[in-house]
Amino acid sequence: MTLLLKAWGAYVRVSSRWPAIASIVPFIPVVALWWAVTALEIFPRVFLPGPAEVARTFADLVYKGILPEYLADSVVRLTVGAAWGIALGIPLGILIGLSKTAHRVLWPLLLFFQAIGDIAWLPILVIWFGYGLTTMTLVIVYTVIFPIVLNTVLGVRSIPINMHRAALSLGASRPRMLWEVVLPGALPNIITGLRNGLGYGWRALIAAEIIVGTSGIGFLMFDARRAGSVVEILLGMVILGMLWYIVDSWILAPVERATGERWGLVTR
Amino acid sequence: MKSLKVRNLSKTYFDPYAGTKVTAVRDVSLEVPAGEFACIVGPSGCGKTTVLNLVAGFIPATSGEILLDECPVKGPGRDRGVVFQSFALFPWRTVLDNVAFGPKMRGIGKVEREKIAREYLALAKLSEAAGRYPNELSGGMQQRVGVARALANEPDVLLMDEPFASVDAQTRMTLQEELTRIWQQKRPTVLFITHDVAEAVFLGNRVIVLSKGQVLEQISVDLPRPRAWDALNEDDRFKALTGRVLQLVRSA
Repeated sequence: MTLLLKAWGAYVRVSSRWPAIASIVPFIPVVALWWAVTALEIFPRVFLPGPAEVARTFADLVYKGILPEYLADSVVRLTVGAAWGIALGIPLGILIGLSKTAHRVLWPLLLFFQAIGDIAWLPILVIWFGYGLTTMTLVIVYTVIFPIVLNTVLGVRSIPINMHRAALSLGASRPRMLWEVVLPGALPNIITGLRNGLGYGWRALIAAEIIVGTSGIGFLMFDARRAGSVVEILLGMVILGMLWYIVDSWILAPVERATGERWGLVTR
Repeated sequence: MKSLKVRNLSKTYFDPYAGTKVTAVRDVSLEVPAGEFACIVGPSGCGKTTVLNLVAGFIPATSGEILLDECPVKGPGRDRGVVFQSFALFPWRTVLDNVAFGPKMRGIGKVEREKIAREYLALAKLSEAAGRYPNELSGGMQQRVGVARALANEPDVLLMDEPFASVDAQTRMTLQEELTRIWQQKRPTVLFITHDVAEAVFLGNRVIVLSKGQVLEQISVDLPRPRAWDALNEDDRFKALTGRVLQLVRSA
């Protein structure tokens, strides 16, 4: 028992010194279990290939240039869609959060359209816009925008009224209040919305690529199913998880640490 | 510094649940000459915070006038600086940037406004905290930032809404002594709201007792300055004044 505690203590020390270790070590038992299951051949190899085969396929597809190209396609689609979602979602959220009239008019519409899931739009979007970037961008924007709007509204509304009053009595004009009080005050919630929105958007993208795609990670996985290549499907799944992990820990988490957590608006 | 005049100020709310009108402030008239420190004291629910919110322009008056040197004011503005009970500091700005906020809104350049902010931080004995964020400070320090921020904008009148009600007793006494020191140095016109009778007498030149939305009585406090708790706790005039105000508040 004491040995276990000591080992844990050492791990905590080492991983706080080198964060990279903390992000790799939890995966070791998972991969080991995967390897053990495949090595024991509990399932036929064709149905469940091992980590080594997936890694080999990874190297192979990178070498052929297919994987980098597909990955870039997926990431560009998500980035374009997310950028539009942010550019439209944050102002809309601020408008609904600040104006009672806007809230009254737009809130029911928002809830109605939120219920029509992203994928449910695909059939009609394919008829309107065909199989291309427009369709996929629209699906992603549609998915990303709702969590951003809803969380921005929440953030704007949770700013204490005295914060507005303090800024006004210090001479801030109404337009300046937006930049000086409303936006920073709502920022922690906006980031939460962004995190949810990007997560959903990433999933929607894979679904869209499976259905309408001609490239991308989702297409890679669906194409592999057609060819009966389980190893490529597994590779696609691993890449999805890894990519999201990178987006979250390299982009979203540092922004959160520098804003809400630093200001004491979000508890760690 | 300007004088503050309030004439026949009334505020009536409609209570949608009770279905009746509620009068929070009824025909209040008062005057704070330029450079005077006036305290409004009264039991909870007497309308004192409503009076401050009306004067600050945060809520519209049902009737009556608010004048700064005979000029009527409407809505919030930088001529009336406010110190809040909840501090209301901007958590996303450092202490220095909080204090520099008013000058920034006035269009003063970065170098100049930071110089102003540092001057007021020194006045509030906060120079070391300039680079920190509000949530890293104790309540007492946060409220010093609140006072420095309001003063750095050089308002005509300083409005303070129970500013020391949410700090511990020892810190409160220190803050009260420091506020009297700062007031003597800068001589702003102050309207200070409190439910604490001793605080009102300790700080003010004048104590206005409010009851049921009306001015019950005004008592001038001619205790010598600088004021310190060690001396005043044993002072007979201080005891007599607090006794009298307390009697008025309790009868209210």
